[in-house]
Amino acid sequence: MNQALNFISVNGAAEPSQAVFDGVRMNADMSKGPYFVDGADTVVKLFAKRCADLGAQTAHREKDLGIWRAYSWADYWRNARLIGLGLMSLGFNRGEVVSILAEDRKEWLYTDLGAQCVGGVTSGIYTTDSPSQLTYLVNDSDSRFLFVENDEQLDKYLSVREKMPGLAKVIVYDREGLHDLTDDKIIFLDDLYAIGEAFLQANPGVFEAEIAKSKPEDVTLLVYTSGTTGMPKGAMLNHANVMFGLASFHRMIPGQEGDEIVCFLPLSHILERSWSAYGPIGNMAVVNFVESPQTVFENMREVSPHRMVAVPRVWEKLYSTVAILAKESTPLGRFAYARALAAGLKRADRQIAGKRVGPFTALSFALWDRLVLGNLRRMLGLERARFALTGAAPISPELLRWFRAIGVPMLEGFGQTESSGLATANRPDSFRLGTVGTAVPGMAMRISPEGEILLKGGNVFPGYWKNPEKTAETVTPDGWLQTGDIGEIDANGFLKITGRSKDIIITAGGKNITPAEIENRLKFSPYVTDAVIIGDCRKFLSALVMIDQENVEKFAQDKRIPFNDFASLCAAPAVKELIRSVIDEVNKDFARVEQIKDFRIIDVLLTAEDDELTATMKLKRSFVEKKYKALIEPMYS
Amino acid sequence: MNANAPILKVENLESYYGPIMAIRGVSLEVNAGKIVTVLGANGAGKTTLLRTISGVMDPEKGEIWFDGKPIHGLSPDVIVRRGIVHVPEGREIFPLLTVEENLIMGAYVRSDHAAIASDIELVFGYFPILRERRRQTAGMLSGGQQQMLAIGRGLMARPRVMLLDEPSLGLSPLLTQEIFAILRRLNDEQKVTMLLVEQNAQIALDLADHGYVMELGRIVMSDDAAKLRASKDIQTFYLGVQEDSVRGQRRWKQRKTWR
Repeated sequence: MNQALNFISVNGAAEPSQAVFDGVRMNADMSKGPYFVDGADTVVKLFAKRCADLGAQTAHREKDLGIWRAYSWADYWRNARLIGLGLMSLGFNRGEVVSILAEDRKEWLYTDLGAQCVGGVTSGIYTTDSPSQLTYLVNDSDSRFLFVENDEQLDKYLSVREKMPGLAKVIVYDREGLHDLTDDKIIFLDDLYAIGEAFLQANPGVFEAEIAKSKPEDVTLLVYTSGTTGMPKGAMLNHANVMFGLASFHRMIPGQEGDEIVCFLPLSHILERSWSAYGPIGNMAVVNFVESPQTVFENMREVSPHRMVAVPRVWEKLYSTVAILAKESTPLGRFAYARALAAGLKRADRQIAGKRVGPFTALSFALWDRLVLGNLRRMLGLERARFALTGAAPISPELLRWFRAIGVPMLEGFGQTESSGLATANRPDSFRLGTVGTAVPGMAMRISPEGEILLKGGNVFPGYWKNPEKTAETVTPDGWLQTGDIGEIDANGFLKITGRSKDIIITAGGKNITPAEIENRLKFSPYVTDAVIIGDCRKFLSALVMIDQENVEKFAQDKRIPFNDFASLCAAPAVKELIRSVIDEVNKDFARVEQIKDFRIIDVLLTAEDDELTATMKLKRSFVEKKYKALIEPMYS
Repeated sequence: MNANAPILKVENLESYYGPIMAIRGVSLEVNAGKIVTVLGANGAGKTTLLRTISGVMDPEKGEIWFDGKPIHGLSPDVIVRRGIVHVPEGREIFPLLTVEENLIMGAYVRSDHAAIASDIELVFGYFPILRERRRQTAGMLSGGQQQMLAIGRGLMARPRVMLLDEPSLGLSPLLTQEIFAILRRLNDEQKVTMLLVEQNAQIALDLADHGYVMELGRIVMSDDAAKLRASKDIQTFYLGVQEDSVRGQRRWKQRKTWR
C-alpha cells in the first residue's frame, strides 16, 4: 500500500502555503485554490493517504446481530479498491456515474470512495424514493451502474427495469432473500469483490494509478436536491469543492482524530455526506452507523458521540423527551430539574451574551451538573459531546439556549448542496444565537439588493448536471451563488436568515411576512412537530399543524381524552384546544398582522415515503399547500 | 334503549402486568346489537383488554362504561351479573364436569330455575352436538365442541354483551366457519352484542360491523369492517394479501401507515 503515498504530490499545481489547524495541514488562505489537505488536492488522494497511514485503526462501526463491530481503514481501502477495480473490469470508464440506493452502511462509503477512486461520479438515491423517482434519477444522471441495498430496493429496480436501459449492471449488497435469484444483469457485492480481486491480480497498481489521475476540477459527486417544485436537479460537485468543504468544516468546527460520530441522516443528503463520508477522511473520525432510522436514539446512547450533527427535528425530539420526562417525574425530581435548568440557563445566558461566567454561576452550574445535568446528558447519549451541530432547517433559538443550559453547546450552521454543504457556522468560540454564524474561511458572502444571500468561494458548485439554464439562474456570470435564502449580515459578519425568497408570504393587506420565524416558534412546542404558515394573498395568516404523535397521545391519555387512531386524536376537541393554546402563546410575540388567526391539524401520520416531507422530514410548503387545499379553504370562507 | 348509543364504552384504558404496560390507552365503543372486532398480532394487548373489561384485571387508569354506568374496578362476578360475559381464550371449560353441568355453571348467578332449563334447550338448539354429548365429561369433547360449550356456557348467563377471545383458536377452517355462522345467528336472533378478539382477520371482518386494530397496546386504526377489509395495510398485514414482486416472491413488507 506504500506506493499509494508516492504519487500524492507528483501531479497538480504546487501547494499554496500551508498551516496546521487542529492536527490537519491545509491552505492557510482558503480564498484561493487549489485546496490541499495533508498534501492531497483531491478527495481520493487524501483517502489513499489516510488508509495508508491509519491502517488498522477503526474507521467504521456497524452493528451485527446486536453487537458493535469495528472495521478499519485497511478494510475501507481493501473493499473500496475491489469495488473500483471490479467496476473497471465490468467496463466502467472515468467520468461515468454510479448510483447508490441504500440506507447508511459501510458499503455505501466503500462504493462511494471505490467508484470515485477510479474516476467515477457517485449519486445517492433515497431509500424512500419510489420506483418512478428511481427511474428519473438513474436516467437523468446517465448512471451506468446501480448499487442497491437489499431485496426491497432491488424490487424497485425490477419493477421499472425496462425504463432504465442505460444500466450495465445492478449490484446488490445484501444476499438475504435473494439466494435463488439468477439474472444476468444483477450481481451481488461479493461477486463484484471477486471480479475486483481477479482484476487486481492481473493489473496491480492500476487502482493507485487511477487515483493519481484525479484532478481538483473533476466532477466527482452528483447530489440531487429535493425539488419542492419540479423534478430534482443534480448538483455537480468537483474534488476542489469537496476538499474545500472538508477543510473549511474542520476550520469552523474542529474534529479530533478518533472522535466518535454517528451517521444516521441519509447519505444522499449533503449534510450527512460531508459529515460522515468526507469529514472523517479529513479529520479521521470514527463513523458509527445506526442500525435503522428507528433506533437513532438508542444507538446514540450506546455510541455517545464526541460531536453530533442532526436536523432540528431530532433535537426537538430530544428536548420534548426530557420535557415530558420532567413533567412525569416525582416532585423532588421536578424540583431538581427546575433548579438545575435555572442554573444552566443562567450560565448559558452569560455565554450567549458573550460575558464572562462569574465564579458563583460557574460553581452553581458545576453542582447541578454533577447532580442532574450530567445524568441528563448521559441519558441522551451526549455526555461526551463537545458540541452539537444543527442545520438543514431553521431551529428555534430557545432550543439552542436549552441545549446550552444542559451543557451541550449547540451551534447552528447554514449551507446547501450548491455550496458543497457548510457555508456558514457558529463556532465553539464565537457564536451568536439566532444567527447561522460567520462565513467559512475563504468564502465571500454578501446580500443582494433584493435581500438574497450570495456566496462566492471554493465551495460554490460548478453547475447542475446537464442543465445550463438552471445553472445560469443559480450562479451569476462572475461566480456568485444565489442561495434563494433571504438574510442579513451584522457588523461582525454573522448571518441571520429570515426566510426562503420563494417562501415570503405577502398577505392581501400587502404585508411581507417570513413564515419561517413563526413556524420555528411553533415547532418549539413539544406537541408540534412541524407547521406550515398559509397566508399568501389572503386576509390573514393561518397554519397547518403536524402534531407530535407520541407527546399528544400522552397528553390525551393523561387528560383522559378518548381517542383511538391518529385521525380521532387529531379530531379531539381537547387536542385542538391544546394546539390553539400553543398558537396563542406564540402569537403573543408577533405583531397583529403576523398572528395566526386559524389553524387545522393534518390528521394523517406522515412518513418519509410521503411526498409531503423532504428527506430531512420537513414539510414541503408548496406541496402541502396544494394537497391540503380542502383543509385550508374553509378557514378563509 | 337507543340502538345507536354505545352499550359498552372504554376510555383511555391502561393495564399493567407488574411493571409492563400491556394496554397503553385504549378507547373504544361497542354499540348495542353490533359485533365489534379487535384485530392484532400476538402481544398487542387484545386479551388483556378483554380481561380488563370483564374485571379479571383491574385497570391502572381509564374508565369502562356499561349501559351508562361505570364498571371499572368491579369484581368479575358483579360484572357478569350486570350482563357482560367473557368467553376466554382456550375455552377454559370444566373438564371433569359433564356438558350439562358446565352449562349449569354458566347460569351460576341466576336463580330462575325454569328459565335456566329453557336456556339449556336454547343452547342445545344452537349447538345440537352438545345435546348428544350432554352426559359426557367435557374434557372428552373435541376442540370445536369445547369451543361450542364455552360459548354455550357464556350464553347461560343471558348476557347483553359477550366478550369472545379467539373462538377460532386451534380449530379447523371448517369448524371455524361453523362457529362463526352460529355467532352470526346468535347476534341476529338473540340480539347479543359481541366484542370479538381475533387473529383470523378474514373471518372476523366478515362477521363484524366495526373493527379496531391494536398494535403494542394502542389502537392504530378504527373503521367499518368493510372499509378495514379494503385498507392496504390490513390486506398486507392481516389478510395475507401479498403483491408479488416481479421476482415472484417477496420477503420484505412495506411500512405500516394505518390509513
